[in-house]
This record gives sequence, structure tokens and C-alpha cells, in this order.
Amino acid sequence: MKKIVLSLFLIFSIALISVAQADRSKKPLPGPAPKISIAKFDTFRLENGLKVFVIENHKVPMVSYSLIIDNDPILEKENAGYVELAGSLLRTGTKNLSKDQLDEAVDFIGGNISTNSSGIFANAIKKHNERLLELMSDILLNPNFTQEELDKLKKQKISELASQKDDPAAIASRVNNVLLYGKEHPYGENASEETVGNVTLNMCKNFYNTYYKPNIAYLAIVGDINVVEAKPLIEKYFGKWKKGIVTAHKYRTPLPPLSNTIAIVDRPNSVQSNIIVSYPVDMKPGTEDVIKSRVMNNILGGGTSRLFDNLREKHAYTYGAYSQLSPDKLIGHFMATAEVRNAVTDSSVYQIFYEINRIRDEKVPQEELDLYKNYLNGIFSLSLESPQTVASFAINIERNKMSSDYYTNYLKNLAAVSAEDVQSAAKKYLRPENAYILVVGKADEIVPKLTKVLKTSNVEYYDSKGNYINISEKTKAIPGDITAEKVIKKYISAIGGEEKVLKVNTLVKKIKANAQGMVLEIETSQKSPDKLLIDVSANGNHFQKQVLKGDTAKTFSPMGNMDVKGTELADIKFQANIFPELKYSVLGVNVKLSDIEEVNGKDAYKVVLTLPSGSSMTDYYDIESGLKVKTVEKQATTLYSEYKELAGSGIKFPYKIKIEGGGQSVDFEVSSYEVNKDLNDNIFEIKQ
Amino acid sequence: MLRKTILLIGACVITCMGSTLLKAQINKIDFTEYDLENGLHVILHKDNTTPIVAVSIMYHVGSKNESADRTGFAHFFEHLMFEGSENIKRGEFFKIAQNAGAENNANTTFDRTFYYEILPSNQLELGLWMEAERLRHLRIDSTGVETQRKVVKEERSQSYDNQPYGSLMEQTFAHAYKVHPYKWTPIGSTQYIDKATLSEFIEFHDMYYVPENATLSIAGDIDINKTKDFIKKYFEDISRGKKSIVRPKVVEPPQTNEVRDIVYDNIQLPAVVFAYHMPAQGTEDSYALSMLTTLLSDGQSSRLYKSVVDKQQKALNAVAFPFALEDPGLFMMYGISNVGVTAEDLEKAIDQEIEKVKENLITDNEYQKVRNKVESEFITRNSTVAGIAETLANYHIYFGDSNLINTEISRYMKVKREDIRNVAKKYLTKENRVVLYYLPKTQQK
Repeated sequence: MKKIVLSLFLIFSIALISVAQADRSKKPLPGPAPKISIAKFDTFRLENGLKVFVIENHKVPMVSYSLIIDNDPILEKENAGYVELAGSLLRTGTKNLSKDQLDEAVDFIGGNISTNSSGIFANAIKKHNERLLELMSDILLNPNFTQEELDKLKKQKISELASQKDDPAAIASRVNNVLLYGKEHPYGENASEETVGNVTLNMCKNFYNTYYKPNIAYLAIVGDINVVEAKPLIEKYFGKWKKGIVTAHKYRTPLPPLSNTIAIVDRPNSVQSNIIVSYPVDMKPGTEDVIKSRVMNNILGGGTSRLFDNLREKHAYTYGAYSQLSPDKLIGHFMATAEVRNAVTDSSVYQIFYEINRIRDEKVPQEELDLYKNYLNGIFSLSLESPQTVASFAINIERNKMSSDYYTNYLKNLAAVSAEDVQSAAKKYLRPENAYILVVGKADEIVPKLTKVLKTSNVEYYDSKGNYINISEKTKAIPGDITAEKVIKKYISAIGGEEKVLKVNTLVKKIKANAQGMVLEIETSQKSPDKLLIDVSANGNHFQKQVLKGDTAKTFSPMGNMDVKGTELADIKFQANIFPELKYSVLGVNVKLSDIEEVNGKDAYKVVLTLPSGSSMTDYYDIESGLKVKTVEKQATTLYSEYKELAGSGIKFPYKIKIEGGGQSVDFEVSSYEVNKDLNDNIFEIKQ
Repeated sequence: MLRKTILLIGACVITCMGSTLLKAQINKIDFTEYDLENGLHVILHKDNTTPIVAVSIMYHVGSKNESADRTGFAHFFEHLMFEGSENIKRGEFFKIAQNAGAENNANTTFDRTFYYEILPSNQLELGLWMEAERLRHLRIDSTGVETQRKVVKEERSQSYDNQPYGSLMEQTFAHAYKVHPYKWTPIGSTQYIDKATLSEFIEFHDMYYVPENATLSIAGDIDINKTKDFIKKYFEDISRGKKSIVRPKVVEPPQTNEVRDIVYDNIQLPAVVFAYHMPAQGTEDSYALSMLTTLLSDGQSSRLYKSVVDKQQKALNAVAFPFALEDPGLFMMYGISNVGVTAEDLEKAIDQEIEKVKENLITDNEYQKVRNKVESEFITRNSTVAGIAETLANYHIYFGDSNLINTEISRYMKVKREDIRNVAKKYLTKENRVVLYYLPKTQQK
């Protein structure tokens, strides 16, 4: 008997184990769907018109206040930036507290208060709630605008603009705004150093006095507080805010371009192209098409979507490719974006258009549609974790005059979206014939291939601020029989011929200039094929040195010594060649004759070199004399003139060299050239 | 770029600093934790307010486990973890998550790699199945490796090479460390990303992606017992690793001379970076140093902001943050100059603030302010289930004490005014620091 019981136990335990053994080949099924409900909130309005929402949430003991001023956007024109500055100026002191006192008071309670042109955000832990409101109210009702603080903010803004000049993403975004909306629309305006300079204290005061009114404002209170507690506090701290009449502004609606237009911002040192395909879209928030087109856009380019699968997972062109289709009260937009390596810029643009056309032309398979509907359903549920989401729902409904049950019905309406809805949204809102194709990148390398792939010669050039550049006048056609090889051959024969040039094994060049009260001297020693020494001195003191021997190079300077590595090393090795023009094919340099440009008023052939390291430089050869007159590299431009034959060598060298870079230029005279001087290898020794 | 750098630093402050609170006010985080027989550590936190759940796995492996000729390997590997498994085909990983209405992603730091799914709570089992799949049997092939090799290189270009000041962390760590693997950053170098092979990835998985090196942390709308059953079902029979886990034992020798260098970048405004060697996270001095950074740059009344940015107008921003790590890390500061201000000028202005905290005790009022700031950050940070899951896992793998999520604040509150001055004196010395100037390439001769 005992035995039987034991064996029964054994059977039980085996059964238990087999239950626990997972069948991993099958994806687990979801449990019953949880009920998704949007947290309830309370709302009330003060007599002055301020509309208040209270979203109670006790997860963390904190309360936050978002005040939103809902005025029409303002066209700032030559004063672009003043609205933003006025918003920041609000935080720089009140009639009761200087900026220092205010900063101290906010930090002391461990809180935050920030202001901008469309409102004030404040938060702190619950125990400091009333102190926080006191400070926020003081900022809102009693601001003290001073010239001193405005000047500081202008200086900051100008520095910030300067810092963005080298940020390709910031450049792309600025220029794209201009393309999408035009400079006559508030969305298309960009502040610049100049327009910020124009901003006066009065403009800022006027902005505050005109637009900061309770009757166009919303206040969302979120966190560890309820309406019973909040209401008397809000009346106390915001009840005295005076209402007023606020001017409305209307603007013409920007339209998509008549045909596809390539817009280029040339950034010669880019290692990647920032691509934005975009056009304005007239779609208002809360309208019928919004959810359908949201599903459509998610299939195309939201998260891991068709664009992501194609450009990243299939082709590995990019770290990510995405699209957005955003409704807006004034004017919305479509945008497809990717940052890709230079060489695949055209292919990436091709694939973006391929996917745009595919979702227009073919009905989306049901399985794929369900996937994205499930995803959007989940994302909506996840977003409800944050009480700020509920606050933004309440405010969106008010300011966009959406139906009050828009968000309650959201999941139901999402579930109803069909494959036909997706295709008709794609046909209505995707415009593969009417888009701007903006690329911030290396123009030389990408433009010819882009025009081919897009089958358009519609190319416009912009500077990093979004100003149109007229480039067509500068370029001239190259005669059909001229090639880069011929240009280089003519140069070699112009300086003395291949035979003489090949005999040069070492070259020492000394150049000298008077600049900014200093005597600058640079001595360059080259020894074929891989030794180089550049010695820079100022007023006779050795200032900087760079040495290359074989595969190692080092820079010595008063600021420290640095090993030269990677691309930079490869580039220095290239520089060590005395006449690299004869060895381009051996050195693996790609040579391309790009066009004709003027140098010092005379036409010159422009030859673009791409080194194996990926670096590139451009040489200019005078058409008439054949001589090299200019070289453009990443950081500097060098101009050569006064070519004279060096006695004994039979070779012509330039005796005047002008170097430009960093907004400065220095004129050097050549003191001497020495050819085939016996250079001891010791001088190239790299001492640590 | 500014936005990016600030985000980077923001993230760092959150993850590395951990931080603060007063017991009276914090909403205590309750959790259950245990080990499976195979060594997998499990942490469960239940919060039923929203029907969602965060499923996460933290592996105790990061870029410091790489060899010097395979930098970037751990992060590259992280990409491969999305390639598929025995029962998940290549390219399906993201799709399965999407289909469940989930968000998922991963990230790699010096010390650990973190994977997560945030799902509607009825999809908990799916999240566990997915993580178990790739822990148990990752499937990678050469197509996947070659694709991700290019993707990782584009990630590097986009996030670092093509970004103004994008090399800041990489350069700082490269200059600060001579022997410790912190001398390279998780993104690694392109040449080694090119060299990594399929068989090396398989070995890496065998060594580090084993249950005894992982912490499964789950937070959200769960039933504790049901969750335990699911975990048993999917994780219990995954076997331990067969190799002993290699962890770097290298100790960085003390720095004895100031390191100074210039980096030329595609930028307009010069920047100055200071990095001082600091002790490992969790040490008493690291808490004091963390509070010192609050004093220096948290809020508009903070010393660097008030003096260097607001009063003297030398900088667009000036920030201090503790990059505390598992092994000794760096106390970092940097500033980006305003137009027309040289790097030398800015360096002097920041240096003056450093000298002040070394010479004088901070006032009682400032001390209270710093404590209030730290307290406020500590008690308000646990606002999302995903954040809670990650924080619990961090405390477990670094300190073996998940309950620090509730108690670590007391370590900050123990720091005295004198301690702040003392750590400034002890660590913020010239011999112990790296100073980098970021200058526009146009100034390069």
C-alpha cells in the first residue's frame, strides 16, 4: 500500500514537471485584455476665464502646474526671436524678487520653474506646494523686465545659434522649416544673430502685456492633490490675473511644391547625409482622417516599420529611418527622415520613395495592418501610465475644439480602421510628386546621383540658415574633351615636366609672414616617400611641430602633444608626397573633374580628390597657364601665385602662398626652396 | 547638439547618481526577490494602478569586459540579441513586441547591458518567453552580423562622429585611463567593430549571457504567484554557464600629473572639459562628490550656473556631474563658451569655483538647499514601472541590496558640510585631473 502511495506521488510529481515544462515553440497567448480607462479629472473655470484641469495621482508626492497660453502664432520678421526671449525673460525676476532671490527660492524647495513664450511650468514636492504657487504666481503677475537681463539672454541666444552652425540635425530642421512653411509664415521663421540683435525690451513687454491673459489660458494641475484642495489655492494665486482682449492672427496656408524639389545644404566635412523628405499637410487635430492616417504612417515609418525594415534591417544604410504625419491647427506636415553614410544617400532616397509609393499603390496585408493596430492600441495604453498624458488629452480637446469623447472613443475608432482606409489615407496624404527632398551633406558627392535617382534637375541650394543661394551663375560648362588626367598632365608639364619632377627626392620649403605683429615662419621638410616635418615658429620661437615617419606621426604644441591617428594620420601621409599628382592611382586617390570656377578673376578647373581615408580636398588649376592656383581642404584654403623656376631644378614653384581659415588669412612669402638636399633621417625621429 | 549632450548628462545623473530622500515622505517601493536554482536573480514589484508591466533583464556585462582589440563588442552584441532565437525567426523580435502593443529596446553601458519590454499587462507571459528565448538560445548568423555591423557603424557616425562635441566622453575617458578598460566607451572603435567575428559572439553569449549573470526585474500590474509560475516555466530549465565569468581586475594606478590636450572638432564655440578621478559608486566619498555636483550645477542658483553662466556670461552652459561607475569613475565638469570667450577664460572661471569649494565650507543655507534638492529628486523619481524595474536591478547587481531603492537617501543625508569640502580638497586637484579643450577645426594649424 505504502508503495502504491509513493508511486502515486511519483506520478504526481512527474505530471507537475511536465506542466512546468514549457512548449517554447509556441508564442504564449495573451491573457484577457485589461480594461483600458482614462483617469477621471476635474475641471473648473475662474471668473477671469482661466480654465483649470486637476488630474489626481498619488504615485509620487509631487504636484506639477502647466500653464499654457493659447495665442495664435506671431510673425516676427526682422525681430525673429523676440517672442522666445520674452518668454525666457519672465523667469528673470519679479517686482518683489530679484533674479538671484528667485533662483535661490526655487532651488531651496528643490523645485523647478521654467517659463517660455507659451506658458509656465512648475513642480515641487507636495510639502512645498504653496510656496511653489506663491513663486509661480509672482512670476506670472509681477514680472520685472530689465535691459540687463534681456542683454544676457540675447548673448546666450546668439551663442546657442552659433553652436548650432555645425550641428547637421539643427541645420536640417531650420532649413526644412523654411522649405515647408516659407519665411512669411510663423512656422517658417528662424532667429538669427541679426534678428536677435534687433530685439528690444519694449517688444518683450508688449508681448507679455498683449498675450499673457487668463481668458486664453489653460492650467493643468497634476499629482498629489485633489480639486477640493486645489480650487481655493488657484483662486488665491491666479484670481487677480486680469483678463483682456487678445488679437487674433491669420496666415495663408502653405502649399506643397508643384513638383519634387531637391534642396541641398553643402556641408563638405559631413560623414553622413541628413535626409528629410517633406511637404505641408492640411489636417486638423481631432478630424476623421487623423486616426486612419496615423495607422498608415505607422506602417510606413513609425518605429520599426517599413522604412526601418528596408533602410536599416535590409540595406543597413542607417541607424534608423522614420516618418511622421502630424496634424496641426494651422498647418501640419509629412516628414520622412534618415541619417545615412554619404555613399548611399541616393539609394536611401530611392528606397524612401519606393516605400511611399508602395503603400499608396498596394493594399496593406491584413496581418501587417493588425500588427500596427495592436501596436498603437498598446502604446495608447502604455501612455496612460503618465498622468501628464491625461492632462494633455484634456487640453487638446479644449484648444482644438475636439469632440469631448475623442480619447474615450480612440481605441474603438482605431479598431475600425480597414486596409481600404489605410490606402485611401496614403493616396490622400502621401505626395511622391510634390515633396521637398532636403539633404544636409557633402554636395559634390551626392547631388549628381540624387538628380539621377529622382529624375529631376530641380536642385536648390541653401545656406545653413535657410537662405537661398544662387549657385548657377558660378559654374560654367567643361569642354567635352577635357578630363581630370589631362588637367593634371598639363600642370606637370607647366611646372617643368614629368622627368624633372620625378627626380625630386627631398624638398625643403621655408615660408614667412608678418601677421598680427608677429613673424610667422613655417619650414616644411619632405623626404620621399613617407617622411615629413613641419615646424612652425613665431618670432623665432618654435611653436608647433608635426612629424611623420613611416606609419607614425605626432603633433607637438604648447597645449600638449598628441599622437596622430586614424584618418588624420592617413591624410598626413598623403601630404608627405612631394608631388602626389603623379601618384594618384598608386595612392588610391579618386580624382574627379567637377566644374569650372573663377579663382582671382580667372577661370580654373576644379578637381576633387577623395583619399582612401575618406577625406577629400579640391585643387584648382588655372585653365590658361595650367598651374595649380588653389587648394581647399577641410580647415583651410591655400592660394598659390608667382610661380618661378628654381635655379638648378628646372621646376617652377609658387613664391607667394596665402592661407585662409577660421575667418583669417595670412600672406606668406617663400624664403627658399631646396631640392634634393641631403636630409638626415634623424630629423624625422619621433621623440616621446 | 546641446540638447543631446544635456540629455546624455541628464541620463547619467539619473542612472549613476541614484540619489536621495526623507523617509517620512517617500512612497515605499515593495518588492519580492529570490534566486532560481540556476542562479537567475528575480525581482518583482507589484503596482496595479495602470494595466501595464515592464519586463527587464540586466546582464552584468558591459564595455569594461571587452578586450582592447574588440572595443564596442558588448554594444554590437546587444544589437545581435534582436536577431532571433531557436523559436523566433530573424527580424521577428521587434514585430512580436509590436504586435503585442509593447515597447522594447536595450542599451549598453560600461558595466552592464539592459533589455526591456513594456507591455500591456495581459502580455506578461509573452515578455518572459521572449527574454528566455534569447537567454537560452540566441540564434545569429553571418547575415545578421554583417547587417548589424553596418548599422552600428551608422549609429556611431550619427551619434558621435557627425555631432559637434560628439567625441567628448570618448576623448575624456581615453585621456583619463591608461590601463583600465574604461579608457574606451561602449560605442567602441570602427576598426574593431569591423573585426568582430561570429564565433566570438557565440563565445561571448556562452560566457556572459547565462542565468547566474542576469537579473530579471519585473514591475507593474502583476499577480506575484502567477508571475513566479511563468518565470519557473520559462527560465528554470535554462542551464548555468560552463565557463567562469571573466571580470576585469585591472586597477588604474593613481594619476600623478595633470593631463591636458586639445581636440579639434567641427564646432563654433570652444568647450572646456574637466575630469577628476573619483572613487567607485557606493563609497562614502562618492555620495559627497555627488552632492558637490548638485551644489555646483543643479538649478539656476547653483554655483557654476550663477557665477559662470549668469553673472560672468562666460558660458552657454556649465555642468558638473558624477560619472560614478562600478570601478572608480570620473567627476566631470564641462562648459561651452559664449561667443567671444576663449577656452582659457572659461577654464579660469570654472577653476575659481572649484577653488572656492576647496577653501570654504558651504553655508548652512546652501547645505540645506542641496539636501532639499537631493531629497526631492529621490522621492519623485519612481514614477514609472520601467524606471522602478531598472533601478531595482541596478541596486541588486552593483550593491547586492535592492532595498537601496528605499534607503539610499540616508547615505546622502549622512554627508556633512565638511565632507563636501574634504572631497573637493581630496579629489579636485590638478594632478588628479584631465583638462580638454574643444576648439574649432578652423583654429587648427
